[in-house]
Amino acid sequence: MTISHHPPEDLLADFATGTLDEAERLVVGVHVAGCGRCRRFVRAVEQLAGASLDQAEPVAMGTDAFDAVMARIDRRPQDAPVVSEVAEIDPELADLPEMVKRCKIGKRRRVAPGISMRPIMLSGDGKSRAFLLRSEPGARMLEHTHSGNELTCVLKGSFSHLGGYYGPGDFDYGDDEVDHRPVVGDEGPCLCLVAMTGDLRMHGLLGRLISPFVRL
Amino acid sequence: MNASRGPKAIVDWADLIGRVAARGDREAFKALFAHFAPRIKGFLIKTGSNADDAEEIAQSTMVAVWTKAGQFDPSTAGVAAWIFTIARNQRIDAARKAIREGRLSKEVVLDEEADPTLAADQIMSRVEDATRVAAAIERLSVEQSTVIRLSFIEERPHSEIAAVLGLPLGTVKSRIRLAMNRLRDLLDDAT
Repeated sequence: MTISHHPPEDLLADFATGTLDEAERLVVGVHVAGCGRCRRFVRAVEQLAGASLDQAEPVAMGTDAFDAVMARIDRRPQDAPVVSEVAEIDPELADLPEMVKRCKIGKRRRVAPGISMRPIMLSGDGKSRAFLLRSEPGARMLEHTHSGNELTCVLKGSFSHLGGYYGPGDFDYGDDEVDHRPVVGDEGPCLCLVAMTGDLRMHGLLGRLISPFVRL
Repeated sequence: MNASRGPKAIVDWADLIGRVAARGDREAFKALFAHFAPRIKGFLIKTGSNADDAEEIAQSTMVAVWTKAGQFDPSTAGVAAWIFTIARNQRIDAARKAIREGRLSKEVVLDEEADPTLAADQIMSRVEDATRVAAAIERLSVEQSTVIRLSFIEERPHSEIAAVLGLPLGTVKSRIRLAMNRLRDLLDDAT
């Protein structure tokens, strides 16, 4: 897997410090898990954060804090087996990254011709939503800009737009200045993990005509 | 990183974690707690938590330091960075739990750190990563690591960083960008 498109550095830094919201954290996390270059960047920020923590002005813990912690350690269940609850094996999800497989994923619904999505159920701590977007080969997604940010990590297949070619592992970052018109590669369906804040705004007459039917 | 290298006794925190992992050494853990718990709490408050949450997250971080001590590998991470990642994840979990309790719905809690079955080549690449990361940070100038820390780790607004460093706002913004690019370049170079 050759990755040639990476998240911007500030997004990686926010990932490392834990300040991204849940949907964004998932998409950046999936890219980082497969990208040695970005993983090292995240590690570097974690090292700097560790130094910050070590040099932070100490604030006294509660008087019984140590005893409380020892009590929690002593009553924790011994070697409780960590069972990862795999509800049912979903063939579409079988060969996806671990982090995606562990998510609760909703039912597929049609977005537009050749395009469908499955929402990822998050705990809802943020303003962004995450979903799996599946597009058939050759599908041309609608020309659109964003009224918010869109973070995309390609899981299978590929797409291309003005920014270049995006294959598995590649990360695409669209903010509200980017005009997209991605075309899906013809090697097979393209499956992407997407985090999105705000809504898509369609461009042009077709977009305005069709947007009532496009439900993302 | 610290300019003063006085004759201060150096505590080998990694060794203490090793003792906790090997034989549940409470004395070693007590020393770790005394040093790190108040710093975790101070760090969390500095980065936006209120005092009660910071106390609770610092406590659960120390519980996790005990339970995960066996996963700590001194060849891949510094102790402070490792403890930082635990505190970070505890803070994320605490925020998640607060929302979940608000909605009274139950969901499976996922431990993002749990990767018990690392292949040998993955361990090798972790060690290599650690070496490259350490080399890159070493070569970052103090000024550059300072702006990264103020901006991303302590999350201070640009205007405040400008005031702290006595620089115009525009200069701060470009310095942050340059520092991030420099870190990327240093990491890419170290092949």
